[in-house]
Amino acid sequence: MNEKERELLLDLLTRQATEGLSPEESRKLAALEGSADDSFDLAAAALLLSEFEPTEQLPSHLRSKIAADASEIVAANAVDKAPDASVVADRKTPLFAWLGWAVAAAAVLALGINLSMTRFGVNEVANNPPPAATPTPMTPAEAHDKMMAEPGMTVAKWTPAAKTGDMANVSGDVVWSDKEQKGYAMLRGLPKNDADASTYQLWIFEENQGDKTPIDGGTFNVSSDGTVVIPIDAKLAAKNPSMFAVTVEKPGGVVVSKREKVAALAKVETSRPPEA
Amino acid sequence: MPESILKRIAEGDRNAVEDCLNSYGGLVYSIARKLLANDADAEDAVQEAFIDVWKNAGRYDPAVASEATFIAMITRRRVIDKIRHSGRRISTDPIEEIVQEPGDKGHKRIELSVEANEAAEAMKTLRPEQQTVLRLSIVDGMSHQEIADATGIPLGTVKTHARRGLLRVREALGLGGIIDFGNKEAAI
Repeated sequence: MNEKERELLLDLLTRQATEGLSPEESRKLAALEGSADDSFDLAAAALLLSEFEPTEQLPSHLRSKIAADASEIVAANAVDKAPDASVVADRKTPLFAWLGWAVAAAAVLALGINLSMTRFGVNEVANNPPPAATPTPMTPAEAHDKMMAEPGMTVAKWTPAAKTGDMANVSGDVVWSDKEQKGYAMLRGLPKNDADASTYQLWIFEENQGDKTPIDGGTFNVSSDGTVVIPIDAKLAAKNPSMFAVTVEKPGGVVVSKREKVAALAKVETSRPPEA
Repeated sequence: MPESILKRIAEGDRNAVEDCLNSYGGLVYSIARKLLANDADAEDAVQEAFIDVWKNAGRYDPAVASEATFIAMITRRRVIDKIRHSGRRISTDPIEEIVQEPGDKGHKRIELSVEANEAAEAMKTLRPEQQTVLRLSIVDGMSHQEIADATGIPLGTVKTHARRGLLRVREALGLGGIIDFGNKEAAI
């Protein structure tokens, strides 16, 4: 890192911790590999705590909402004990050339791969809803099914990135809520991976970061054949996703993907009505 | 020592959620209410902040910071996002009162965060202008431009004060980060 880059990095880290960054500035910070540096933000948080006395109580209605959110996510924490879970250390995905994604997506579309929603057996999951008022958290599959049934969700269908090879039969769907900042990817046909050798990683292409800098949506492993449902773990707030992608990466995931192996793409075809 | 609440959350312990809300719900809500212009934004920010807490609990390292500081960091990030989109809470206090010494405002910090005490001590070593800029920025959520407008300090100087002041606090807390900026600039 030269002096100019160091100066820019210092400026961006300071501004991130004090007044926030624009999406473009966030991309610059990521390109300088400064996204994982929490030290300025932690210093700012400590300063805030040193001069600030919390006097308010969490309102009960808000507490209930938060607890409801937590039920599902914390349960997923217990399920997702893959050794690569620590990849979430990075807040933002650095700038890198994602042109290949667009090329791959175009290739998929050119091949005329246009699977209908029914092909993915959405109803297969829907036939097995969680019991009402169950005290146990929903499984990712149940949560996926619930979101799929809700209005205003962003939904897309997975298509394989290549028409040949061991991932040529990937299918499924993805559902995402801008409002709740959560979503699920349901995938079929992904080959089992050796977690010691590789991992799958999900990416979100959306409005804030642009197509060149998709948001890291988390890593996952496939340990058995069949359908997997993955909670999307977006590292940044995602807005109006236009496409989702799954790549194969080294264990632990990557910050910068070389996009050498794209497993599947899910292009959002239509605008959905706003969430209630 | 009791097991970390965040560690329990990272392990999927749903009982830890209640403990977390009991311990830090008021803190997160207070931060959002202090800095955001309207209650709806504050509630959104609190809800989003806790989602981030649940998702990122596995990142928490007790060797680096207390849980309160970690959670306050996550909260600030969400609040800053909201401020950039919606606007901060407009303080009705005169600028002179905002920037004054905190007095006993921080008397609860011992209970909240070890780093808060260290940050307070570091703050005392800063030049008065640096303290002013950091207070207006971090405690009152003002942008650098707003600080420049409110105080008459040139914008470039506001940025320099923020940078050097924060570097000093970061150094005092032993937060190395991934990049070593050294002590030279912080000491200026």
